Amino acid sequence: MDININIKKNLQIRAFYLFFVIASIQLGIGILGVSRLIYLEVQQDAWISIVIAFFYVSLIIMVMLLILKQYENADIYGIQVDIFGKWIGKLFGTFFIFHFALSFFSILITYIEVIKVFIFPTVNDYILSFMLLCLVIYSVLGGIRVIIGVCVIFFFLSHWLLILLIQPALQMELTHLQPVFVTPITDLLKGARVTSYTFMGFEILFLIYPFILNKNKAKLPIFLGLGWTTFLLLLTTILVIGYFSFDQIERREWVLLGLFKIQSFAFIERFDYIVVAEWMMVVIPSLILLMWGITYGTKRLYQVPQRATLYTIAILCFIGSLFTNEHFQIQKVINWSSEYGFWLVYVYPLLLLPIVLIKKKWQKRKDGDHHVH
Amino acid sequence: MKRSRSPEKGSIFPIKVAELKKILQDQFNNNPDLSFSIYEKKDKKLAVFFIAYLVESEKIENFLLEPLLSKEIPWANTSIKNEIPLNGPEEVVNLKNILANLLLGKVYVYIEQEQTAIAYMLSKKEKRSLQQSETESLVLGPKIGFTESMVTNLNIVRWNIRSEDLVLERFMLGKREPREVRIIYLHSIANSDDVQTMRQRLTELDIDFVEDSAILMQYIEDSSSTIFPQFLSTELPDRFSYSINKGKIGVLVENSPTAIIAPTSFFSYFESTEDLYMRWNVGTFLRGLRFISFLLSTLLTPMYVAAATFHYEIIPPTLLVNLGLSRAAVPFPPILEALFLELMIELLRESGARLPTKVGQTIGIVGGVVVGTAAVQAGITSNVLIIFVALSALASFTAPNYLMGTTARIIRFPMIILAGFLGIIGILFGACFLVIHLLKLTSLGRPYLSPIYPLEMKDFNKVLFRLPNQFQYKRFKSYRPKDLIRYPKQKAKKKKDIDE
Repeated sequence: MDININIKKNLQIRAFYLFFVIASIQLGIGILGVSRLIYLEVQQDAWISIVIAFFYVSLIIMVMLLILKQYENADIYGIQVDIFGKWIGKLFGTFFIFHFALSFFSILITYIEVIKVFIFPTVNDYILSFMLLCLVIYSVLGGIRVIIGVCVIFFFLSHWLLILLIQPALQMELTHLQPVFVTPITDLLKGARVTSYTFMGFEILFLIYPFILNKNKAKLPIFLGLGWTTFLLLLTTILVIGYFSFDQIERREWVLLGLFKIQSFAFIERFDYIVVAEWMMVVIPSLILLMWGITYGTKRLYQVPQRATLYTIAILCFIGSLFTNEHFQIQKVINWSSEYGFWLVYVYPLLLLPIVLIKKKWQKRKDGDHHVH
Repeated sequence: MKRSRSPEKGSIFPIKVAELKKILQDQFNNNPDLSFSIYEKKDKKLAVFFIAYLVESEKIENFLLEPLLSKEIPWANTSIKNEIPLNGPEEVVNLKNILANLLLGKVYVYIEQEQTAIAYMLSKKEKRSLQQSETESLVLGPKIGFTESMVTNLNIVRWNIRSEDLVLERFMLGKREPREVRIIYLHSIANSDDVQTMRQRLTELDIDFVEDSAILMQYIEDSSSTIFPQFLSTELPDRFSYSINKGKIGVLVENSPTAIIAPTSFFSYFESTEDLYMRWNVGTFLRGLRFISFLLSTLLTPMYVAAATFHYEIIPPTLLVNLGLSRAAVPFPPILEALFLELMIELLRESGARLPTKVGQTIGIVGGVVVGTAAVQAGITSNVLIIFVALSALASFTAPNYLMGTTARIIRFPMIILAGFLGIIGILFGACFLVIHLLKLTSLGRPYLSPIYPLEMKDFNKVLFRLPNQFQYKRFKSYRPKDLIRYPKQKAKKKKDIDE
């Protein structure tokens, strides 16, 4: 297995698309309910937790970029094989694939549950899951360029939803956010930890980095993407806290969707139906990117054709979604995914960085010695 | 007989005139249209042969036979070439060549014992006169449309783009019946990769004959399974030359009044040259209207079906009462109701298109007014749905390109069915699928959804909306023209104060 990869010219992408990639994969199902989770931990200081989380994620992204920069054109699969050797490296790579698969599955079943709760309580799971997986397969078959195209277009097609938040914003009660800075720092950190599932997804950078055409310009779009996610998270959390009372927030599982119920027009009374359906355009890009991560990873590690993995994983997820339709099961999957992801995405890069740096330094010294003798 | 030089390879000359006649008659299966006349003077024999109805017979009589027979022109190749007052004499020796060119309207003169025959191009083609285009009508701007004659069309194009830069490459397509096809582009602007792709697709095409440009278009399109047209077809020379000037590639086919333009993006099917003739703000409004009407025509009826079947809550109470009243008498579920009405509109459109114009109008009135009212009174459909269906049918006719309008109408049917089964989720599924599908399409290898993806913000003002001319100084960047700048950027002087 090659550590550095040559990407064909027609597969390379311009750096500014990373903005759409990062924003699309982070905005998914998490943002629907995360405001409530943070609020339950830290009440009105929830926004501080989000800011803390933002800085921590920024740190992780810096670390990731630093790791990637040590190599010519490598992704995480190549780097791990280089550092830990063939067998352990591949095992660690498989951990990443498993992480993507778990996230993928958790997003899929959560969105199906949202549809069932809000629109069709009686619809069969397999129809919804089949439809979503069809869309995923259809776009992943198009390759990386189509996948990024889906991110870009669906980004534009879904962000009009923000207009619907104007009405609740006008009716907000600012006193709900006061007094500020009353929560102890440990609770704030706990609140930040809750956001880990929502912020997750930026680890796709480890895979997509070699595909970037102008790598020196990659930093800005990445942080803009992260900034955009954070901004939306802050916005919705403040709106949720300002609009709802404590009891109301506690009772609502996906509290953000509650906000969309308020706006009504002359010809449309309830927007939450439209929002839940429209959320498909928010969910599909993250599903597609994760699925691409799985198929691309298995191809890198085990030389399995991407098509074969795509169909296999889709069929497995389809079968899996039939058996996880109870609320507590879905919560369990989300918890696993967020726990597992926490260690892999938020802790592991910090451990990997020193090893990579030491190895590179050692290699350089060895090469230097070689030159002298 | 002395031979000054050995005959060229494949030459059938010199040959006895009677033998030549026999060979030709054999080749043309004794067709009576093959005119082969033999004249004798002073022991010399001369043959003139051509295919009747393909050539201008007055010219042959006045300028070829008259001087040859009555004047004292010596019967020899050199003197004929010099003294016959016809343009472009050509010496030919190859039988295959002669046979092929006879069918294109050439007239041959052969003097017995000469090494070559002399050919003149005297073809004549019956054609209709220039008319206004029927399928694409404009309120403003030039009105003439292309005709079936290639010569006329080339004449129009040459007069529209009077530039030495204009290249008109000639291809003969079709094994059995070769037909002339032209690739037209501006050499210093059009992307040479695109030109090469088009050239390659045409030369690699191995078919018996090309019936029409619409069929050629289907042969050389990027994807044949999609419902969306990938090449633009137009009858309007002004639209054609406008696209050529933008750096696109045009294709003209003999015997076809529609020209092909490539590469195109999804959005170019919604632009009309009229947008350019209007002021920029009016043009922007009209273009926006067409985008909205595409959405309306594909989504309006499905939305009704979804709301009336599953999501009553979406409809505001006041509207719901009206809707309930008008639907109270209807015994069918909304999906059947909608499909029935849509089918009726399609029938009206199709019968209107097939019938002669006068009868067509009557059918429109009878169908639209009488059947529509009767359907409501009979309790088959609701009033509200009739409005929606009529609106979306109207909207689908706003697309300046007929192919895209048809596509919009057809997409509606699967959308209605999806909405009938899965409500708004079904509609969103259909919409997502369509968007992904559009993303995967290419036109001549260029992405179909440019400039949105690949994102080129600077092209937005040419495609999605229009800006005043001082912002239009660049060409469409997404297709990578060789020369990006149309004219130097002009800046209007700014006034510093009110009264200056």
